[in-house]
Amino acid sequence: MTPELVKVAAAASDNTWAAIFPELMLACVALLLLVAEIVLPKKFHELIPSIAIAGIVGTFIGLLINFQSAWLGAYTFSGLLHHTMGGQIMRAFFLLAALLVCLLGRVSLAKQAMPRIEFFHLVLIITAAMMLLAQSAHFVMLFVALETVTIGFYILVSYFRTSAASLEAGLKYLVMGALSSGMLLFGIVLLYGIAGNPALKAHTAESMNFGSLAIFLAANPHQFLASIGIVLVLAGVAFKIGAFPFQIWIPDVYQGAPTPVTAFLAVASKAAGFAVLLALAGKDGVFASYGWLVTPVLTVLAAATILFGNVAALTQHNVKRLIGLSGVSHAGFLLLGVIAASSPLAAMATGAVYFYLFAYLFASFAVFGVMTHLAGADDSDQDLDHYTGLAKESPFLAAILAIGLGSLAGIPPLAGFMGKLFVFIAAFQAGARWLLVIAVAGVVISIYYYFGWIKAAFFETWTSPVDSPNTPARPARTPVELAAGIALVALALGSLALGFYPGTFGQLLALR
Amino acid sequence: MAQLLFNLFAVFTLVTAAGVVLNKNVVNAAMCLLLTLVGVAGLFVALNAYLLAFILLLVYAGAVVALFLFIIMLLDTKGDQRPGLKHLSLIARAIALALVAGGVVSFFVRSRLPEPSLGATPALGAELKLYAYQLFTTYLLPVQVIGFLLLIAMLGVIVLSKKFDGLEDIK
Repeated sequence: MTPELVKVAAAASDNTWAAIFPELMLACVALLLLVAEIVLPKKFHELIPSIAIAGIVGTFIGLLINFQSAWLGAYTFSGLLHHTMGGQIMRAFFLLAALLVCLLGRVSLAKQAMPRIEFFHLVLIITAAMMLLAQSAHFVMLFVALETVTIGFYILVSYFRTSAASLEAGLKYLVMGALSSGMLLFGIVLLYGIAGNPALKAHTAESMNFGSLAIFLAANPHQFLASIGIVLVLAGVAFKIGAFPFQIWIPDVYQGAPTPVTAFLAVASKAAGFAVLLALAGKDGVFASYGWLVTPVLTVLAAATILFGNVAALTQHNVKRLIGLSGVSHAGFLLLGVIAASSPLAAMATGAVYFYLFAYLFASFAVFGVMTHLAGADDSDQDLDHYTGLAKESPFLAAILAIGLGSLAGIPPLAGFMGKLFVFIAAFQAGARWLLVIAVAGVVISIYYYFGWIKAAFFETWTSPVDSPNTPARPARTPVELAAGIALVALALGSLALGFYPGTFGQLLALR
Repeated sequence: MAQLLFNLFAVFTLVTAAGVVLNKNVVNAAMCLLLTLVGVAGLFVALNAYLLAFILLLVYAGAVVALFLFIIMLLDTKGDQRPGLKHLSLIARAIALALVAGGVVSFFVRSRLPEPSLGATPALGAELKLYAYQLFTTYLLPVQVIGFLLLIAMLGVIVLSKKFDGLEDIK
């Protein structure tokens, strides 16, 4: 054996599989689903989604018990993964999102003649990949995990293939996703190439590794090619979170995708983008020494994203497009938090971003849960008019909807308000005053369309359009089953509890 | 000599890549893509990365482009239905041209690097044995994740294209 081979072989001993036990669990449950579909007789197939849900719940409980994991702060897999408290929080976040997607998926798939099991399998694999993504400390790991997530989403978005809208959404997502992956990859390659150049200071053979790359960037603070690489990487990530001007795919994809998948995209995929962004642009991140470049770029992105998302959402009548565009504005608010997190002045900024993500998860899934129950056979056709009279017919769903939308709008006793408050305080500490003015203006605009939705549900009654009086009424509302009902109540209570008493949870997130 | 070869392959790659974009006939575009990949493989050879060049030819030029051709023939597409580039608005063209020109100029003005000596550059992955060892030790986790990626890709093909009972596909 040559000395190089000996060194490489020694790396195998660093592959600590126990450190990624939750991801392994999810992958095994995902495979188990496929096996169960072959082995079990047809009449037991109804039970298979429950296996997925039980698997996620089990993994979640295991993660909570083991939250202070033995590997905290350590690098495993030869530096591919870095286990941090932030990583643990994001793991819990993705598991929670996956659980809710599976619950909504059961409701939504019941209205379609689609195969069921594959949906849950894909959700599990995507979740595991996102969990790895949030902990990756190496561009190879980051890219592989990100592509697994993205390819899973291509399939999930076009899952309702009998609907032209779903297929169109899948194709659009495929093209835009490939473009964004291309940009990200080009950026990574530029950084790899420049950091490996032996003519430069602090060059490294391990230039895909976040730690070595950060050292190289700190030693060469105004390298032109590295700047281009950084901007391209940021652009690739901005595609995933749907920041302006990379939000172009959002309305069509969100409308065409099955509602649970839209929820998964809006919450988990966006959160994954922000986990990556925090690892790259945070104050201990890879690009920390390029603050002169990263902060202005993100500031422009955030301002444009907040304004565009809110203004574009004003005119929407399809609720899926509306929530998609309002999600763009939430990405803008979160970017505000990331900008604060890149500054040494705002100590609580990273925690504020996590808090905002959780508040967004509770509120969004409450709204998406109601949407899933109101959707008809054509999943892409969900209009504001379908919500008329909801408060009379189903006070339960209307109440959940009001709490979810109120939290998204940032109305005081709810979690969304606290999330926005924390992010704004962090931004204030970091000195992003002008951006704060824009953000507050964005919040004011957003109240208009969120309350338009609440108004439709509470104060309007259904009337057929004047020009076509024979229009069939809105699709029948699905009765709420026990599991989905419990989940919706828990989400609403979560929004209320986090809003009234953010203390313990807020501390957990802020004190990392 | 090596520099000349590198430049030749670079120009060849660019020209054929333009051919992929501008060709109206899909089969010709795919053939141009094949030539582009051969050009890139040539670049890799000029950089002493023989393994990469070999993999690129084997996988992309050999398998992927052949697959493209299969699909083009299966779908029997007419190549001339694509809207030409002349429908682009004047402003969009001007902005795109300005961006490309600005990029090229700034690249030449600001990105001059001291010439590295080739001997000092580590030839990672040049040797097949070291490369394979790395895949199964250092990068074992990404390789495993890619296994799952391929699994869900296969699953996706089945879910999106197989005929199921009671499923009315759109025509």
